[in-house]
Amino acid sequence: MSTTDGPLALGTGGALTTRPMGVFARPGEAKGWRSWVTTVDHKRIGIMYGAAALFFFLIGGIEALLIRLQLAAPDGKLLSADLYNQVFTMHGTTMIFLVVMPIGAAFMNYLMPLQIGARDVAFPRLNAFSFWCFLGGGIVLNSSWLLGGGADGGWFMYAPNSGVIFSPTHGIDFWNMGLLITGIASLVGAINLITTVLNMRAPGMTLMKMPVFTWMSLVTQFLLLFAIPVLTAAQFLLMFDRLFDARFFDVSAGADPLLWEHLFWIFGHPEVYIMILPAFGVISEIIPVFARKPIFGYPFMVFSGIAIGFMGWGVWAHHMFASGIGPISVAAFSVSTMFIAVPTGVKILNWLATMWGGKLRFSAPMMYSIGLVTMFTIGGLSGVTHAVSPADTQQTDTYYIVAHFHYVLFGGALFGFIGGWYFWWPKVFGYALNDRAGKINFWILLVGFNLTFGPMHILGLQGMPRRVYTYRDGYGFNLWNLVSTIGAFLIAVSFLYFFWNIYSSRRQARALVKVKGQRLTTLGDPWDGRSLEWMVPSPTPVHNFDVIPTVTVLDEFWHRKYGEDENGRLVRIAATEEVSQKGDALGVHLPSPSYWPLVLAFGLPWIAYGLIYNLWFCVFGGLIVVAGMYGWVMEPSSEPGDHHDDHPHTEPHPSDASGETAATTEEAALVD
Amino acid sequence: MTRRPRLLKLTALLFGLAVVATSCADDAPQTTLKPKGPKADTINDLINPIFGIAAVVFVLIMGGALYVAYRFRAKDDTDFDDFPEQVHGNFTLEIGWTILPALILLIVGVFTVVTVFDLAKKPPPEALQVEIIGQQWWWEYRYDIDGDGTYEEIITANDLVIPEDREISLHIKSRDVIHSWWAPALNGKRDAVPGRTHPLTIQADRPGEYIGQCTEFCGLSHAEMRIKVVALTKDEFDGWAQTQQVPFENPTDERAQAGWSAFAGQCTSCHRITGMTDPASGGDDLASADAPFEYPEALDQVSGAAPNLTKFMSRSTFAGAKFDLRKDTPECRALGENWAYTEEGLERCLNRTDLEAWLRNPPAEKAMAAGEAAAPDSRGMPNLNLSEDQIDDLVAFLITLK
Repeated sequence: MSTTDGPLALGTGGALTTRPMGVFARPGEAKGWRSWVTTVDHKRIGIMYGAAALFFFLIGGIEALLIRLQLAAPDGKLLSADLYNQVFTMHGTTMIFLVVMPIGAAFMNYLMPLQIGARDVAFPRLNAFSFWCFLGGGIVLNSSWLLGGGADGGWFMYAPNSGVIFSPTHGIDFWNMGLLITGIASLVGAINLITTVLNMRAPGMTLMKMPVFTWMSLVTQFLLLFAIPVLTAAQFLLMFDRLFDARFFDVSAGADPLLWEHLFWIFGHPEVYIMILPAFGVISEIIPVFARKPIFGYPFMVFSGIAIGFMGWGVWAHHMFASGIGPISVAAFSVSTMFIAVPTGVKILNWLATMWGGKLRFSAPMMYSIGLVTMFTIGGLSGVTHAVSPADTQQTDTYYIVAHFHYVLFGGALFGFIGGWYFWWPKVFGYALNDRAGKINFWILLVGFNLTFGPMHILGLQGMPRRVYTYRDGYGFNLWNLVSTIGAFLIAVSFLYFFWNIYSSRRQARALVKVKGQRLTTLGDPWDGRSLEWMVPSPTPVHNFDVIPTVTVLDEFWHRKYGEDENGRLVRIAATEEVSQKGDALGVHLPSPSYWPLVLAFGLPWIAYGLIYNLWFCVFGGLIVVAGMYGWVMEPSSEPGDHHDDHPHTEPHPSDASGETAATTEEAALVD
Repeated sequence: MTRRPRLLKLTALLFGLAVVATSCADDAPQTTLKPKGPKADTINDLINPIFGIAAVVFVLIMGGALYVAYRFRAKDDTDFDDFPEQVHGNFTLEIGWTILPALILLIVGVFTVVTVFDLAKKPPPEALQVEIIGQQWWWEYRYDIDGDGTYEEIITANDLVIPEDREISLHIKSRDVIHSWWAPALNGKRDAVPGRTHPLTIQADRPGEYIGQCTEFCGLSHAEMRIKVVALTKDEFDGWAQTQQVPFENPTDERAQAGWSAFAGQCTSCHRITGMTDPASGGDDLASADAPFEYPEALDQVSGAAPNLTKFMSRSTFAGAKFDLRKDTPECRALGENWAYTEEGLERCLNRTDLEAWLRNPPAEKAMAAGEAAAPDSRGMPNLNLSEDQIDDLVAFLITLK
């Protein structure tokens, strides 16, 4: 079968113009900045998500340090009340929407197509569009610092305090517009990745043979698909209130501010699982590799993830136990919240059971994974204590809650993600991060993390409220706030060390990971991995797979390396090199780069600024959006002559050792 | 193995220190761990065993994780190469650790639900009815002393004065944004949501002061929207309530009279003193000025209303309870039990510095969005550009409000 003609049969390269709009020549660069801004490659988009998230992490981290400096001692004078309110609002918003969510998106974008044996996502240009929307939204949000100050209503932005009377600057407008745009990114991404998982799995990969990370990505994307529209609806109400004098949250006109609370938390609680489930997926990949055992109870891991996804919709009002929703609602949401601890507990115990009886190797990724299991457990337990709603009326809006969700989102999600960085770094960049430095990094982070957030449990139970720019001497808050501030700077040190590790490891990129006492000539499979992404060379070739593998079992790649001998003993049956792909296939038809996702996404911030400052900007932005859409539609998803190399119409690559035929070589993208 | 006991001792020591650090009530007047009333007791009785269960689970999981990590570590790379038994799962075990936590949580859930409804019980009719109104950034308290359903007998701010050992039925409202009223020693918090009235019941076992503060983020001075509950014995409370209802008397002192005029000219667009008349009318014969003040029914989301200053001097704090009205020094306390209410106590212990600074330039003393001058949308007290003479007059007038 020829690999060049797509299902759409667009004809040969010569027959179709490469300037469908007559504006831009279709980009074709494989290197340089232009190749990055026009890329539709899920791997490059994943890398850009990660890089942008790390950039925003620096901003959010500086905000965190400012908060901790202000609170290091009573009567802090570093920040004014006004500035402090902006800083904590932007810290929360940045860390949630611009750090943890996009890091999850980075992993999902890069890994999920590889794990299911696909060449790209279902809609590669939409994928690029998602990223540019996310970046644009993040820039709009943070541009508020340069244009009169950040949002000052808290990340939860309760009405009516978010109204124009109580917050007359444009900070909240930037917050609103920025998050509306990142919402588009999330929603488009959700559709894209769900379609990808459901339609583009390698032959033989049934749903119950998908890696746990891919499963958790799928659940996460469904949560995004249903949660983001609720936030968007609420934000539209807020936008109309603030910019066009609507009265959705005007109490004197009969509004009930609890409407916002309900809408926000119906989004806000699934959001928690949107942030944590990808990290659960990450360590579910890491722990089996470093325990040399399959994941314990794969079906339980999958179904508990799905259960968390479903139950996550029935617990939102536990954020509102003090808001006066009445004892019946409070009781119902208390009980539903407690029971969401059950599937989470199953996951914790299954990870421990995966380690049980294994041969544990404590490389950096494993350290961070165990870090997640233990730190998340603390967050889970404090979570149960405020599912007990009468107790929550004492705990809510105190530092006890701040401690809780940092144990969940930092001790949980971020620890998992950092483990994932150490784990997949060789796959993505072709060199490994220094493992020893990774372990030192881990211990500094673990100590810093616990020093920062551990004392907050005590502060909260001693009655220190959240979101206060100052506190007084004589309340018993001094010591633990100081400890917490010291811990925060230790966290900063650990991240500086992490960045240094990236820099120095990159410099020594030739130093390869030692596995089993010998240096591998290839970094394709540095950890003795289990899932399909380890089957291809590192860094992943642009076309991912020379030949799409046919899947027969969970952990397909591992089972190609190891099997039982005639005595039923587990032995190596093939060298890694034999069952790995070379990455040298030619003539694989890939989606072509495009300017249009960037053009379309570029129009949106203009509309946002226009709504805030001058509606004429909206017209301009709208024209860009329309032009972008038009160009997009007129452009074929991939140029027929476009292959990842300069040898069109080459014969397909010979079949690989595992015996697939070249006939499985196919279009990367079904439709676009 | 000599290291391990030492490690244990160290851990025990650290744990002990943490317990000591958290349980010193004197150091932490706002703590949730030392209930001083039956409602807060109920909450602690529920949560303490659950903290216990959580601690056990914590130790089991942490210990389990460390044990597994230690016991099953690969000794070296060659050891890692040996295959451990490839266990794919254990259905019985997994069902077990699905059901067991569910059962524990079911028990916790039953007790929780019972407690929720217990705490939501309507207080008995003999409970003292108090309306609480939150506003950026202070709390107003209105008492229904005679039980007629209106909250007008006493209107005060900052200090919620209650009798000991009697249920207090609170009706919590807001005049602008969402606040949350919280005195942790007496009960959990309850949000003050504009447009809604939320009930909460508190009761103090003993006379004393119970500290709290607003716990729903409410803008600029959220951190300085403080709460003080003062519980008195029954007799003391009755005396206080009576004093509060003694009609306003025009000051006699010359300086205070000047202050009275200044107050009527500068302050009464926001502040009220129940029963006060306009001094320009020559005293108490002006009917129109005598009309009792009423706050707007509608919640129009702007402030415009400021603390009612009737019996101002009977309070212990001002400016949203940010500042103490009196300097609580040993010398002052040496003046006798009721030093705060004697002429001498006032003279020697009034916190004149902060009070004058507040009158001089309030936004400099507390973060507020007051604007240039008093306006319908100003939140907090604006700088009225008072002269030093006017400030002295006003203070002289204010100390007559007792």
